[in-house]
Amino acid sequence: MTSPDRRIDDATAASLTQNTEPWLSCDDCFALTDSCVDDLLAHRSAPSEAMRVHLAACPACREDVTSLLELVAAEHGVDPATVAPLLML
Amino acid sequence: MLATDEWLDDLRATGTRHDDAVRRLHELMLRGARHQVARMRATTPELTGSVAEDVIAHAANEAVVSVLGKLESFEGRSRFTTWAFKFAIFHTATEVRRTVWRDREIPMDMVPDVPATNASPSLAVEGSEFAAAVGRALDTELTAHQRAVAVALLIDEVPIDVLADQLGSNRNALYKTLHDARVRLRRVLTEQGYLEVSKTAPATRTNSQERRNR
Repeated sequence: MTSPDRRIDDATAASLTQNTEPWLSCDDCFALTDSCVDDLLAHRSAPSEAMRVHLAACPACREDVTSLLELVAAEHGVDPATVAPLLML
Repeated sequence: MLATDEWLDDLRATGTRHDDAVRRLHELMLRGARHQVARMRATTPELTGSVAEDVIAHAANEAVVSVLGKLESFEGRSRFTTWAFKFAIFHTATEVRRTVWRDREIPMDMVPDVPATNASPSLAVEGSEFAAAVGRALDTELTAHQRAVAVALLIDEVPIDVLADQLGSNRNALYKTLHDARVRLRRVLTEQGYLEVSKTAPATRTNSQERRNR
């Protein structure tokens, strides 16, 4: 069944075929979120490839991590703008 | 700010010491919830006044329950406050999405059309051709559940937590369904020559000339 008011454009087609390997579940991503943020702030270490791929493909988890990074950075007097690029999103 | 060990010792204590620690934890979760509401307010105009305060209060309470319930699973791979804040952010973001979508209809049974043209002339043929192939694969290659989830999440942009509520599922299960759908679509489109897989890189789009040369 098709709907006249919803369309697949090129960006949507790209999203539907986005590569989400290596696999990481939302639960595993959530479990890693806090250590990812602290490691990023303490050592400027980028997330693992699996985590980066997951964050690129999952808006909800991406919001969780980005927000946590912003909050914790501010709590420790770090400008979030200086560390957010390390998420490579 | 208290050190991680102090937080853990205080929360594991009994009596007044424990009660004081829970009160501090609640204040911490309120701070996390306010931060998340402030972030989402920019794109969520209805998130003001009593609506925002209700979300913050509810989410902070949920986060305190989560932290206390999972305290023994804390492995010390991060600071305690970072670990606790993630529950405040998770519960707040989820509550905001639920609140915003509470009165919206979530259609679950339709596959969208493919546009005839694109804005860029150079991309028009390639773009619409690829989109058309994706649309056909979406229509014919996925299970009904995979198709419904993919359309809701990626085309109708229903938040994953809201869709999970609608389907009686959870974020983890729906993301796995979407992952399986993407794997299936990529496999079919690779077989059809729309995507190519190199030995060192994930599948990428091919152009029309490359497909004609195969």
